[in-house]
Amino acid sequence: MIMGNKIDIENILDLSANKLNSLEFDDFTITAIRGNRSQLRFADSQITIAKNWASLELGVFAAKDSKTVAIEIQDLSENSIISALESLEKLAKSLPPNQNYFGISDGPFSYPAIEYLADTDFVEFHDQSIDQVQGAINAAEAEGAKRSAGVLAWEVKEEHLLSSKGASVSENSTSYEFSIRSFIDETSSGADVEVGRLFSKVDFERAGSRAGEIAKMAIGGTNGDPGKYNILLEPRVAADVVAATPGAANPFMVDIGMSWLKDKIGEPIGPELVSVYDDALLPNGLGSKSFDDEGHPTGRNVIVEKGILKGFIHNTSTAKKAGTTSTGNAGLVLPQNSNVFFEPGEHTFEELLELTKGKPALYITNNWYTRFTSYADGIFSSIPRDGMFIIENGEISKPVRELRISDTMGNVFKNVTALGKEIKQIKSWEVNVPTFIPHVLIEDINISAATK
Amino acid sequence: MPSSSYDLAEKAIEEGEKLGAQYIEARYVNSRMNTSILKNGVPELGAIARNNGIGIRVLKDGGVGFASFNEMTKEEMSIAVAFATKMAEATGRRRSKKIVFSDEKIHEVKFEAVGESGKRPFEVDPEAKINRLMGMDKLLAELKTNAVIPFRFFQMLDETEKKYIITNEGAKIESEIDRLQLFGIIVAVNQTTGSKEQIMIQKGKTGGLESLDYWKIEDFVTKETTKLSKIVTESKESPTGVIDYVVGPNVIGIMCHENTGHPTEGDRILGREGAQAGESYLKENMIGQQIGSEHVTIIDDPTLEGSYGYYLYDDEGVKAGPRYLHNKGVFEEMLHNRESAAWMGTKSTAAARAIGFNREPIPRMANTYLAPGTFEYEELFEDIKLGVFMNNFTEWNIDDRRYQSKYVGLEAYLIENGEIKHMVRRPVIETTTPKLWGSVDAVAKEKYLEFDAATCGKGDPMQGAPVYHGGSFMRIRNVEVR
Repeated sequence: MIMGNKIDIENILDLSANKLNSLEFDDFTITAIRGNRSQLRFADSQITIAKNWASLELGVFAAKDSKTVAIEIQDLSENSIISALESLEKLAKSLPPNQNYFGISDGPFSYPAIEYLADTDFVEFHDQSIDQVQGAINAAEAEGAKRSAGVLAWEVKEEHLLSSKGASVSENSTSYEFSIRSFIDETSSGADVEVGRLFSKVDFERAGSRAGEIAKMAIGGTNGDPGKYNILLEPRVAADVVAATPGAANPFMVDIGMSWLKDKIGEPIGPELVSVYDDALLPNGLGSKSFDDEGHPTGRNVIVEKGILKGFIHNTSTAKKAGTTSTGNAGLVLPQNSNVFFEPGEHTFEELLELTKGKPALYITNNWYTRFTSYADGIFSSIPRDGMFIIENGEISKPVRELRISDTMGNVFKNVTALGKEIKQIKSWEVNVPTFIPHVLIEDINISAATK
Repeated sequence: MPSSSYDLAEKAIEEGEKLGAQYIEARYVNSRMNTSILKNGVPELGAIARNNGIGIRVLKDGGVGFASFNEMTKEEMSIAVAFATKMAEATGRRRSKKIVFSDEKIHEVKFEAVGESGKRPFEVDPEAKINRLMGMDKLLAELKTNAVIPFRFFQMLDETEKKYIITNEGAKIESEIDRLQLFGIIVAVNQTTGSKEQIMIQKGKTGGLESLDYWKIEDFVTKETTKLSKIVTESKESPTGVIDYVVGPNVIGIMCHENTGHPTEGDRILGREGAQAGESYLKENMIGQQIGSEHVTIIDDPTLEGSYGYYLYDDEGVKAGPRYLHNKGVFEEMLHNRESAAWMGTKSTAAARAIGFNREPIPRMANTYLAPGTFEYEELFEDIKLGVFMNNFTEWNIDDRRYQSKYVGLEAYLIENGEIKHMVRRPVIETTTPKLWGSVDAVAKEKYLEFDAATCGKGDPMQGAPVYHGGSFMRIRNVEVR
């Protein structure tokens, strides 16, 4: 099983397929992912830890008489794999049939080509990583930041998939994720993120500079007043609270009462200016991938078109149940988004500021801790963090603090009034699904505040 | 016993020392997990996870390096040790403030917390597990209430985790822990108004499948679902203005966790989590400062038997015991690992936890609770003219300094002239931490003490730590409700 100092992936795929066939599973997919991921974390403007993960994981989804089972194995000796798959068969026997299961995608398959999944120059990342982080910290300090914290992570990954329905595919990818949060004093802070796949696109100094700039603008903030506001969101806030709605276009989440989009397909859920896709083919997209967990080819699928909810993302089973076809979004258990992509609007940031004129308005640069009173109704609140500002007469006028967005996801999406023309890719501690989104202006959103 | 994995861990220590590591630890973890997922009564998936690997952490020249691997070969181990050592050195060299670890007593021990004989996760047949889960779900499907229950989701997860930690200082900690967790989401809908309420259930305990009986799980989910139906069909508007609150164990628990546990984590206070989970409104120089009333004593104790956050020695080999985060309202102790302790010139409080072989040990909570007081339950209500009794919560959040928090009640009742009246809908406590703890004027006795399980999120990459949080009942005076 071990070839030189590495386990041979082809061998463990074949071994697993042979064993699953001999155990008479009807359907199966096997994935093997070998990754090498590194990370530099920093705080107080100094690196606190350097990490590296060398990993090889084997994942199997299998079905026998419509009983659906899965296994994730990191213990990869031949005996362990055989014993684990035998346990899987025992587990399948013990289960009642899954009435929601309708098979996995059947071949033959033709996979899309995606630009910029892997960067051959990526090895330079290791050598330059410490300097790259230091460059961003210095850029924040040049703006006045006293200290910065954050993380740079980068990964080289190879993924292989084999299915009982003829899929046999592999893909290599590279990626980086950088986030920085800079402080001038305890409550005056700013943050930014920079993510992608191409080493040539890296510009962490820009992120550091922006984090420092927001922190400086936030100095002297006072407690804000609760009430109704028009809110102008940085892309990283919009990627959480605005993109939550296309993210809820998931039949599994609808089935368990965790989506506010039940029975909404074909209905207007937003203004005409909003169109959103799940797009696995985006160049440089962190969620870009040519095949899903069933080995089905991925693609670009419309979720919202001119404000109308057009469809959900699907795997083979959820699609058959809904009378449609797979969108190539199969995850091991439930359909999963690849990249969420918002069509950009036509406004510059300054124009968006202008559009708030005449109404109380807030510019929110970051947020966290979004939680729901009722997922099915989309009732939530989320806490702005870092610089937050009152907008008056089309200009950022003064920093404010200690406010909370407390409204419904339905209102947030429906009340979008304008979109910026520049989109940014966001993936962060708060946003798991890579999201391409511009600045978003939303009207009449309820803002609450803590009592003293 | 995977002696070859133990050998690899031991060899890693030798190699690290040869490379000049000032401190090196190797942590081997073998975890076997089983999961069942039930969606509206349909068994969506049965899943198994077999995790196995070694994490290496090195301190050298004032820097820290970490590397993990799961291809259990000597070569992979050597690469990991070399990376951790080299990167500790490379990053440490550039630090103006060198990282050091606090000196701690070295232990060589074994401990275990496993299920009852015949009830351990790997001893119970998968069929028995899924049947128990489906039987419980069926009770809800057939439950007669005034509301409809269109959505039910359950996930049961059991785990046996074996861990072997070894350091170049001579620490050797071997442990074996079984855990059981049940997570559920239930939604009730008022057929007349279409209005909905959700409850998220999380039960967790160290031990085996006997925990289901300990929780009386069928009774528990049936009662909670019946109450949920009442909330959505019978509850009335909640009062506003300045009122008093009585809150139950579930609400106290989350408040202890969010408003006190997190801001007392040493690494947050030092800013090490600044870009992720945030910092803290508490500072090192605030130790000894009055944060809450004299009724507020908040303890975090990893050693509570059977608890979901149970351990006797932390992931740096330090012996655990109760930590008095707040004592009679005074900020007394922090949650420290050896790194944060050293920064503050103190000793670790054995809070270092790493969730998986491929994670670094950082300061975490274990089992956080409000120490019981001297009041009978009924006494808490007696002199309240107008108030709300919030027994559990739904939505909550808190800013990243842990200063201003929001808790929305789920099961809640009006209190009028000392009596509990009708249910009220979604009362909100949105206030600051000092105001919250400063307004507590009564806590109920130990006989009312209860714990809930939760998965605490922190770190980058994320580490979901099993924890308990709890309390008895407490009264909060003069809360402004808008």
